[in-house]
Amino acid sequence: MALLQGRCGATIDDALSFALEAADPYVKEGFTVREDYWGGDLPVKQQKAIVHQLFKGNEYWFWMGTDVDNAKISVHIYDADGNLAEVEHWQKAHMAAARIMPKSTGSYYLIVEIEKSSEERTHWALAYGFR
Amino acid sequence: MKYLAPLLIVAAGTLSAAEPAQHIDVGKLPQQATVVEDVIVPVPSEIFGVLDKLGTPNWHEVLRSVKGEPPGPRAETALLLGSVIAEGFVAVEAQESEEVKKIGRSVLNLSKAIGVEKAVVARSKAIIEFADKKDWQRVRRELDGALADVKQAMSELHDEELAQLVSLGGWLRGTEALTQVVKRNYTKDSAELLHQPSLLDYFDRRLKGMNPRLQSDPVVGKTQKRLPEIRPLIGEANSVISSKSVDQINEITADLVKSINSRE
Repeated sequence: MALLQGRCGATIDDALSFALEAADPYVKEGFTVREDYWGGDLPVKQQKAIVHQLFKGNEYWFWMGTDVDNAKISVHIYDADGNLAEVEHWQKAHMAAARIMPKSTGSYYLIVEIEKSSEERTHWALAYGFR
Repeated sequence: MKYLAPLLIVAAGTLSAAEPAQHIDVGKLPQQATVVEDVIVPVPSEIFGVLDKLGTPNWHEVLRSVKGEPPGPRAETALLLGSVIAEGFVAVEAQESEEVKKIGRSVLNLSKAIGVEKAVVARSKAIIEFADKKDWQRVRRELDGALADVKQAMSELHDEELAQLVSLGGWLRGTEALTQVVKRNYTKDSAELLHQPSLLDYFDRRLKGMNPRLQSDPVVGKTQKRLPEIRPLIGEANSVISSKSVDQINEITADLVKSINSRE
């Protein structure tokens, strides 16, 4: 299983379009969306962790998308000690998101999961923004 | 599209499906962490955005004139390109439009030397255009984009290692600039921006795993040797990075950036 990064690709692009749709309202609130994205495909119930350096003083939203209609996906943020660090999260059809205002600068774990899906493997994409 | 690295697989059952667990056992992750070769490297705007909120440092004192001529070896050109892009952020902070425009042209010139010019032509033009208009937010965004485009183009050319050197060059100059600012008006909060253990470990791993041909480059070799000296200085989680440590990080990064910029 690999993590993909880039700005092209078939089904991951479809997943990304949902992630960016989730981001849209927050862009209007002043969040800058990073142009890179991360993604791959996962079976149901298998989680992945991505290590990310976050800076105290910034506010971040992470948006996850999938192209599978009935899938339920999630993204959550943990600090270096493994404590849930997000201040809010939500899940909708094709999308999930989590927001963090880091209490300290350092490494954080982004945990992504396909909670439910009719597909054996479900494509997902993750984007983020900051302000 | 670029395949980056295997990911961590979280130990089964650590999270419930509906509501997130309040705690995960990070201790179980390092077992997989040995196979993790990647972290998300933040874009410079994330760091400079925080610096904006911490005050108004004298960026003119930090800003340096860039060298736009490729040094020859591709590895060193990649390091220099990253360093020049980072300088672009300092120039934006200093609101020096002429310097920003010069940097935009240098980015193009250095990209040409390593075969990724096409990827940054539009970015370079945009950097110059928005610097003329003094639209600093847009210049920042274009600089972030230039960095991403260069790395993407290199990945497509199967030059991932050079792409990593671009990132590293940018990180070194960005960190040097950050320490310059922090040491002039030291506070615990501003020094905390230097707490970047996962990034340091990531760059260290990448350098160690690099093609021996690249490792034999004197500037790459020096970077590989000196980078681990920073690791103990940036502290553990929740610890304070002292003023003395900031000075030492500044000395190391300044030395490396000087090497990157001094090769003819």
